[in-house]
Amino acid sequence: MLLRWARSRARHTRALARLYSGLGTGSSGYKECDVVIVGGGPAGLAFASALAANKALDGSVKVTLVEGGDLDKVRDWEMPPDAFSNRVVSLTNASQDFLDEIGAWVHLDAERTCPIEDMQVWDGISDARIDFSAAALGLGRGKGSSQMARLTETLNLQRGLLQHLSGQSNITLLDSTKVENIFSDDIPGGGWPVVQLSNGNVLRARLLVGADGINSPVRSYSKIDSYGWDYNTRAIVATLLHPPRIFPAFLPTGPIAFLPLSDTASSLVWSTTPALAAVLTKADPAILAGMINAAFRLPERSVRFLHRRLLEQPSLSPEDLRTEIAFREQAHTIAPHSAYASATINPEDASVGIPPHGAEALPPLVASIQPGTIASFPLRLRHAEEYIGSRTVLIGDAAHIVHPLAGQGLNLGLGDAAALARCVSTALALGGDIGSRTALTPYARERYFENHKVMSAVDKLHKLYASTAPPVVWARSTGLEVLNELDTIKAGIVGAAGGQSSARAGAGLFWDTVASGVETLVGGARVAEAVGSGLQSVAGGILQQLARAAAGPENDRR
Amino acid sequence: MLPRSRARLLVSTLARPSLRQHVCALHTSPRRLAEQQPPFSTVNDAEIAHFSRLSALWWDERGEFALLHKMNAHRMRFIREKLLSDRPPDAPSRALAGLDALDVGCGGGILSEATQSLARLGASTLAVDASAENVHIASRHAAADARLADALAFRCASVEELVREPRRFDVVCSMEVVEHVDNPAAFVRACAELVRPGGHLFLSTVARTPLAYLLTIVAAERLLRLVEPGTHTFSKYINPDELVGFFAKPLVPGARPWISRTYAHGLPTRTEAEVRGIVYVPWRGDWVLAPRATTPWSSQVNYLFWVRRPYDS
Ligand SMILES: Cc1cc2nc3c(=O)[nH]c(=O)nc-3n(C[C@H](O)[C@H](O)[C@H](O)COP(=O)(O)OP(=O)(O)OC[C@H]3O[C@@H](n4cnc5c(N)ncnc54)[C@H](O)[C@@H]3O)c2cc1C
Repeated sequence: MLLRWARSRARHTRALARLYSGLGTGSSGYKECDVVIVGGGPAGLAFASALAANKALDGSVKVTLVEGGDLDKVRDWEMPPDAFSNRVVSLTNASQDFLDEIGAWVHLDAERTCPIEDMQVWDGISDARIDFSAAALGLGRGKGSSQMARLTETLNLQRGLLQHLSGQSNITLLDSTKVENIFSDDIPGGGWPVVQLSNGNVLRARLLVGADGINSPVRSYSKIDSYGWDYNTRAIVATLLHPPRIFPAFLPTGPIAFLPLSDTASSLVWSTTPALAAVLTKADPAILAGMINAAFRLPERSVRFLHRRLLEQPSLSPEDLRTEIAFREQAHTIAPHSAYASATINPEDASVGIPPHGAEALPPLVASIQPGTIASFPLRLRHAEEYIGSRTVLIGDAAHIVHPLAGQGLNLGLGDAAALARCVSTALALGGDIGSRTALTPYARERYFENHKVMSAVDKLHKLYASTAPPVVWARSTGLEVLNELDTIKAGIVGAAGGQSSARAGAGLFWDTVASGVETLVGGARVAEAVGSGLQSVAGGILQQLARAAAGPENDRR
Repeated sequence: MLPRSRARLLVSTLARPSLRQHVCALHTSPRRLAEQQPPFSTVNDAEIAHFSRLSALWWDERGEFALLHKMNAHRMRFIREKLLSDRPPDAPSRALAGLDALDVGCGGGILSEATQSLARLGASTLAVDASAENVHIASRHAAADARLADALAFRCASVEELVREPRRFDVVCSMEVVEHVDNPAAFVRACAELVRPGGHLFLSTVARTPLAYLLTIVAAERLLRLVEPGTHTFSKYINPDELVGFFAKPLVPGARPWISRTYAHGLPTRTEAEVRGIVYVPWRGDWVLAPRATTPWSSQVNYLFWVRRPYDS
């Protein structure tokens, strides 16, 4: 009796299942999809590209990517060779390897990328610096290359990914289409996510991927909270034009990053107070240019004076600013044509003849700012408490927002895309259900801690460098110089890098190195060990002080 | 269910004597696969009732079956490797297209995850279970998945019923079932009978060792409560050499045995049969498929058994 009931029941459910399968459209009007990706930003496009490149899919897995914006704008994006968009990303070697592996790298315009071979961590307040050279660290991609990262415009990356996707039949791109609502189906035994689109389509997803940025609708649907804080800081971005010169990238620690895009253009990321950001982004671009030049050249005291001056009088003219700077230079006895002068020099002339002594320690003088490239955005830290929901998974900014200090945000997103694509392919090859938590857990396991590590290192760097308290600055500069000069430590860093022969292991190492350098500074004891007994008491004392000071402003955490 | 503190007390008073008793049992009990008079069915009613009660929980991947959910990928890796050893797939995600598969004792869910995996990889799959409730849950779950609809069918049936029907299969799987049935020898024999010549039989189960007792009963059921107490019955566990021995003898008088010879430690020829331990590594929170033939049986607890029916038997 029971048996017969069960049999008829089973037949019934099978019949039901057939109904749902139909021609990809269920009786309930849902279009059945294996993977629905929300978001055509770098993370979403990279994940789609990685899936497309994977043989495990062999055309049997249907992927749909939904993007609210118009992707044709990205496809057709073009700029003259000497102009650059203001959103620039420094792609780590690991990110480039990943893009290369999936066959997307060749679609990027190589002319619009620029390797970073040397980098300086520069303390804007004390003028202390630490040098990283890719060659010395043994970083690079393959034989003969030494680079720690490669700068390019986000649009160059996105356009390349779109080109890579254009020939893929198993990926459907729906752009200018918004996700209006996400709900769970009410099919018995189902509860799968259903995505309602602005074009009237309703997709039922075996796996819903949230690559939908900071306000992720997929994360809200998944009821995943994210924790974090705002830094009360804004980052100003702009494309800087200057006379031709090769120079190291200036890492954005002493609040300004000055990253070479070509020998005549660089990308700016300047973290500052919201008030100053508001003034600088609205003022005459010549004001911003003048302030950047001064920031690298005048003592910190005077730079702060200029900031105050500008806040008091936002309408200050470029001429007035130049007069102010010239006055400050005189007060600091900076000779009018020395490397540290900016007010009295026409940047175009500075490139002619022999550069003044000390010029190589500084980025080139900014001549002008590419029109329309000045923008600013708030800095925050957010990390989703989980990456996996019920048949949902988060990647990129939907999962984590990081301080742009080291340009790592996008790299983390690419790392997510690579890991998730691997995880999905493995599950497919084993006949797993790619929407199940079991199938997705390896992704979260691989990425959550990794992302957290980078995020907290960036956060610590921010705290370390945001402070202007004299003991911190003093200790910081001493610490940096101690680090810079100590061959033992450098050898240690290089040794660690040399040990990692594969491109993958060596990639991203730069960031690990910076992070561990800072961790070491903060940790104090470990540096003291490396320094050896002679310097131990001196350095140890400094570093302890530093550690205490750095640990101090803990209260801005929430 | 007992309150935790009482349960723990029970364990401390129970565990030792019963462990000793089972260690003795290891040496003295008749071999589990020794032939017995075949009863009407190998189905054990108490076990069926137990699993039916749990079946609502099957698909909660974070609940008490999380461990089993995780085991499936490793099982599938083994199954895939064996099935594809002589037929490289054209399409990796449909690697088993064209094969007829049977999953015996599919359970309500996770164990039917193996069933689902077979079906997803393209095998035309029949899943049977003796519990109507399980079949209901498993088929309901599968019905929500359009991809499974055409490849996967469910039935409430015992192997004995299937044997009486003419249908035979390229692949027969029975995952974590043999340790729950009344007459394992008759059960394994019935499963074997359902395999076509040249076809494959996969079993996964738990060895009858002190370590298995400690991990699956003392730790998993009683101390950590990873699985419900009563899930396992130690004396029903089967050792790998018992399975190898079973297939080294003719299944039908006069027929060629499936395993023609064994080597040192009773290891079979790799083209005929294989035993692979599957070990839970707590600090990884995941299982690991033990490397081939590390020790005679790295399969002190959970293991997978594969045997292939010769074409001429
Ligand atoms: C102004 C600004 C400047 C930045 N500058 C830099 C920089 O210089 N260097 C750097 O490394 N990083 C920078 N970042 C960070 C970097 O842009 C991000 O880390 C990166 O874009 C994250 O990529 P993503 O694909 O995860 O998310 P996003 O790029 O945010 O993409 C999310 C996508 O989802 C889409 N979407 C969201 N909701 C819906 C919906 N309901 N329906 C359809 N589509 C939807 C959006 O349209 C968007 O295209 C900057 C960020 C901002 C905001």
